[in-house]
Amino acid sequence: MSKDSIIVKNLVKTFKAPKNFKDKSNLIYALNDISFSLEKGQILGIIGKNGSGKTTLLRTISGIYNPTSGNITVNGKLAPVLQIGIGFRNEISSIENIIMYGLLLGLKKDEIKDKVNTILEFADLKEFARMKLKYFSSGMRTRLAFATAMQIKSEIFLVDEILAVGDMDFKEKSFNEFMRLKKEGKTIIHTTHNLSAVERFSDKVLFLDKGKQVEIGDPKEVIAKYKKYILGE
Amino acid sequence: MNINSGMISLWTKKTLIFHLSIMEIKMRYKESFLSFLWVVLEPLFMFIILYVVFSNIREPREENFAIYLISGIIFYHLFTKGTMTGLTSIRNNQGILKSLSINKNIFPIIAVTTTALLLIVEIGIFFGIMPFVSFVPSWTLIMMPFVITLLLVLILGLSYLLSVLYVKIPDIQPVWTILMYALLFVSPIFWSIDEANNTLLAIQQINPLGQIIELSHKIVFNEVPIIEDWIKTSLIVSAILIVGYTFFRKFEKTIVEEL
Repeated sequence: MSKDSIIVKNLVKTFKAPKNFKDKSNLIYALNDISFSLEKGQILGIIGKNGSGKTTLLRTISGIYNPTSGNITVNGKLAPVLQIGIGFRNEISSIENIIMYGLLLGLKKDEIKDKVNTILEFADLKEFARMKLKYFSSGMRTRLAFATAMQIKSEIFLVDEILAVGDMDFKEKSFNEFMRLKKEGKTIIHTTHNLSAVERFSDKVLFLDKGKQVEIGDPKEVIAKYKKYILGE
Repeated sequence: MNINSGMISLWTKKTLIFHLSIMEIKMRYKESFLSFLWVVLEPLFMFIILYVVFSNIREPREENFAIYLISGIIFYHLFTKGTMTGLTSIRNNQGILKSLSINKNIFPIIAVTTTALLLIVEIGIFFGIMPFVSFVPSWTLIMMPFVITLLLVLILGLSYLLSVLYVKIPDIQPVWTILMYALLFVSPIFWSIDEANNTLLAIQQINPLGQIIELSHKIVFNEVPIIEDWIKTSLIVSAILIVGYTFFRKFEKTIVEEL
């Protein structure tokens, strides 16, 4: 059996982008011939400018989008955490939101109820357990969402732009959580614009530009190439 | 995924469906001062307005016009709420659908479970009005769950269809609003089949909501609907469910890309 958690082969994803009402044939290549594999327990960081295809790649791997061509093999249960706090409702309390978000993430109600205190403690929000979310700052919401998302029992995590949010304390906490998952043998693919975070936590880095795979490999080398590319533009 | 595995997958999501349905109702009345009270007040005010207007401009032919009217209004009100929730169910949940690989089937189903939850409250209005208009319910009311099932299946079929159509053609929302307005007048809510002209009778033949309301009227007024009426309505409702579900399945995999 392959020890690879994820194998992506010649992945292409196009979207129809009609130029006008008559011409509906125009295609945009959001992902163009992407290939890589990731071993169990590895962390892959995806970097690239806005619109380079980072989120589309995560959505296609997670099954939200269908590949236009190419193959994706996923060995293990996959948890997409593409936008944390999705499904959060302002009008209900933290606890109710934890339950709702947990259910959306595929957790069982009893499982979530058992973990409510752990989640609130991790997010430093114990005293706000009964408060409606509309009174929360964006940082508080993010902490609550991240703490809930980290309760998912999966082998593979797809995480979009999480390391860019929150204050320094929370970022450090998030980093530690990622390392805990790595130690437990979980595979993580994350996208971020935070290059120091990518270098610190990734085993491999994938550099995307306009849907194309520019480079994949050692974090330091790929990041150096990316910086050069950005400066050279 | 075949229908059986789809149903099993949906059954495992029953807690999520229930929670999202409760949330749907909470969100609907979130900003209003009277909150959940509007679940009762909306159909009740509609009943009062129509009762005052129509009992004054025409001599009611119905045995007990108040009961006749409220039973029709409840079905109409549930139908409008249910199909509107169904219509917006995919578009309003695009954040979730773009972030999680989730069974899209749950969203039209939430439209139905929301309707079923509202139904429990609205049945209370129906029975609440009875003593005020000296109406004694008959044994035929035991057939009402079958009529309610037909209504819920109709809402489900239309929700499947409309949820996808609304993503592809946003104009479908105002069109549907106009159509529902028309349904209020062409369904036997404040008029009876006996006084309908040929045009109204012809429309009634193809109007599943009108047929469901008519079945409910018969049951409420101690009449057992003939088997042909049951079969005809069931066939139309089943056909709508099959068409709606087939349409939904055809675009289910790619609909998120259009959001």
